[in-house]
Amino acid sequence: MASQPLYIILSSGEHEKVHLAAMIASVAAVSDRKVEVFVTMNAVNVFERGLAPEERYHGGNYHDLFVANKVPDTLELFQMGKDLGELKMWVCSMVLDLKHWEVEKNLTEGLFDGAAGLTVFLSDAENGQLLSF
Amino acid sequence: MATTTIDGRGSFCPGPLMELIAALKLAAVGDEIEVLSSDKGSANDIPAWINKVGHTHVGTTDKGGYWSILVKKAK
Repeated sequence: MASQPLYIILSSGEHEKVHLAAMIASVAAVSDRKVEVFVTMNAVNVFERGLAPEERYHGGNYHDLFVANKVPDTLELFQMGKDLGELKMWVCSMVLDLKHWEVEKNLTEGLFDGAAGLTVFLSDAENGQLLSF
Repeated sequence: MATTTIDGRGSFCPGPLMELIAALKLAAVGDEIEVLSSDKGSANDIPAWINKVGHTHVGTTDKGGYWSILVKKAK
């Protein structure tokens, strides 16, 4: 029996929450599970194009520990989930409008499948398991 | 049949697993991949993942400070 699709709403800009979302998304995706991630609010800032890893996150207590212990890079985990499994990432269209950003110009290359609205994402998520960070 | 070794020592969960999966994509059925991991969580998680997705867990050896996990690509 196929696993339920996994839907993740990521709104936090804290390193540990973004990282946990990346761990769950990537491992689920490579375990033959369809995964979709909806990135909104403060989490959108994490994916701003051109930011160095130390500039991406806001708040949280684990950033220094992650760096000191060479924990896998958070955005690379998302990318590996996309490369090795069925993982799609959507950015909140409302946040893009507020910031006057575009997926192709302002966000990290290669990660996002496009912009989406919360209503459609929630509607799709009715058929799976929903997590929020 | 080829055997490849991935040295994931020093990397944390899910790093060694993701490296294994990338190697499995390139391997032929019957090839074996050895993962070296100093992360205890990965030493437990990798065999569980292997069994879930249908490859073969040949065995895990405690090397003292790290683990050797041997995987055979089954499909």
